[in-house]
Amino acid sequence: RRELPDGGARPSAAQFKQLVVSALRELHGEVGAALPVDVLTYEEKTLSAIIRVISSGLIKLWSALTLLGFYQNRRCAFRVLQVRPCGAEWLPPHVSSRSKVIW
Amino acid sequence: RRALSLRYVLCEVVSEDPRCRQCIEDRALGLAVRDAIGRVHGDYGLACCSVSFAVKYLNAYTGTVLLRCRKDSYRLLCSALPFVRHLESRNQRYPCALNTLHVGGTIRTCQKFLIQYNRRQLLLLLQKCTNEGERQCIQKSLSCSLTEEQSQSGDEEDDDGTE
Repeated sequence: RRELPDGGARPSAAQFKQLVVSALRELHGEVGAALPVDVLTYEEKTLSAIIRVISSGLIKLWSALTLLGFYQNRRCAFRVLQVRPCGAEWLPPHVSSRSKVIW
Repeated sequence: RRALSLRYVLCEVVSEDPRCRQCIEDRALGLAVRDAIGRVHGDYGLACCSVSFAVKYLNAYTGTVLLRCRKDSYRLLCSALPFVRHLESRNQRYPCALNTLHVGGTIRTCQKFLIQYNRRQLLLLLQKCTNEGERQCIQKSLSCSLTEEQSQSGDEEDDDGTE
């Protein structure tokens, strides 16, 4: 879940995804930004989302979100509530994935 | 027992612009490489590679560069080198590329490789010679390097088996 201390404009789903990618780009460069990340669900009201990433990319994603401190010059923070392995039906069998449930 | 392990990356600067040679100096190169690492691997990669990072040797005439980094992060460094696209010095920027020639654990192994590599390059240049003057220059360099090789191989007999 993202926490924004003030009552400013909340990011849309697209802006949220953009934020995640730019956090990856800042901490892990173009390689990080190229990591396939899916925002499965996003709730603007609570600023909560479920993000899916390949297992090998979990550390990069988690570290990038942890160190993201600003959204449009406003201070913010990401809080990871739960991390679960993801069902194989969405992916080819040889690829495993961990979903990050920020709920 | 040494806990600190380093890697030395030998590369060459290739440029179509002959003025790029004047940018082959440690500050410009260090900045260009670090900038590329920062773009490709972000703040984390840049911080990782900056530990013990140094430009250890430069040769502006041949464009040879020797970089040093920690063993744990040499992959980050090597994968970022193709992303160095230009060198900048005194507000002048010239396009170039970096070819990685060799990665070694010590300066000595890189030096040994470089000597062999330069010898091969001289032979290639000899084949491509267009006039007698150039040919004589190169043949002179080659004969110098051959006599050095003979004097060196005397000291290194115990190394042969372990290469």
